[in-house]
Amino acid sequence: MTKEARTVLTDLLRLIAPAAARVTVNRANVPAADEEIAGFWVETLTAQASEEARLLSVAFASAKGDPAVIVLPNEAQALAFLRALSAVRLALRDLVFADITDAQLESAEDLDDDSLPTEQRHALACYACFGLLQQSLIAQLNPEAFD
Amino acid sequence: MPKPKLKPEIKTESLVSAAPKWNVVVLNDPINYQAYVVMAFMNVLRIGAPEAKKLMRAIHAEGRATVWTGDRERAEMLSLELQQWHLNSLLEQDG
Repeated sequence: MTKEARTVLTDLLRLIAPAAARVTVNRANVPAADEEIAGFWVETLTAQASEEARLLSVAFASAKGDPAVIVLPNEAQALAFLRALSAVRLALRDLVFADITDAQLESAEDLDDDSLPTEQRHALACYACFGLLQQSLIAQLNPEAFD
Repeated sequence: MPKPKLKPEIKTESLVSAAPKWNVVVLNDPINYQAYVVMAFMNVLRIGAPEAKKLMRAIHAEGRATVWTGDRERAEMLSLELQQWHLNSLLEQDG
């Protein structure tokens, strides 16, 4: 990860990470029949998503070297990082790419990104980059997960 | 004259009915990668890669799949854990 890329990613994370927890809860199918369970459910999702967003921001901000390397000290943190990347990708999908279809987003290389505003272009690059980071992390954690 | 001792007539009937089963259903989503979904299943459902991949493929093909069936409390816990992995899970009563 180059210094420039890290700056773009860190800036975007600062903006999107706080919203990631909200998006996580909004997307969730919370069982509504029992008020107590529903409350616990929302609290749990919010607390975890907030903590993971914080972990992600800290990891990018403290990445060392050029190109920057993110070191995750143990498997639990690596899994949390993996989940946090998913939360941010979902938040980007809901908040930034609401007018882009799933099919277009899935094949991002087919998107005419020159026609997109700068912020959306950066967000698209981050969306793809976070996906690549996830794949790379899974390859290290559990290569069996790939077909 | 003492009353004859009568054996009380005790009627019994089974009051125990099988508790309803609940399904944990996962819906397809176009954002999370297949390998990520497999990882989530392996971690949450404690299953091996082949079974996790089978579930992932079923969701991809059908749009949804039941990934676990059993008592309500455990189903709720698993559904919440899958949502903590940002998968689109929900609970449905079986049958």
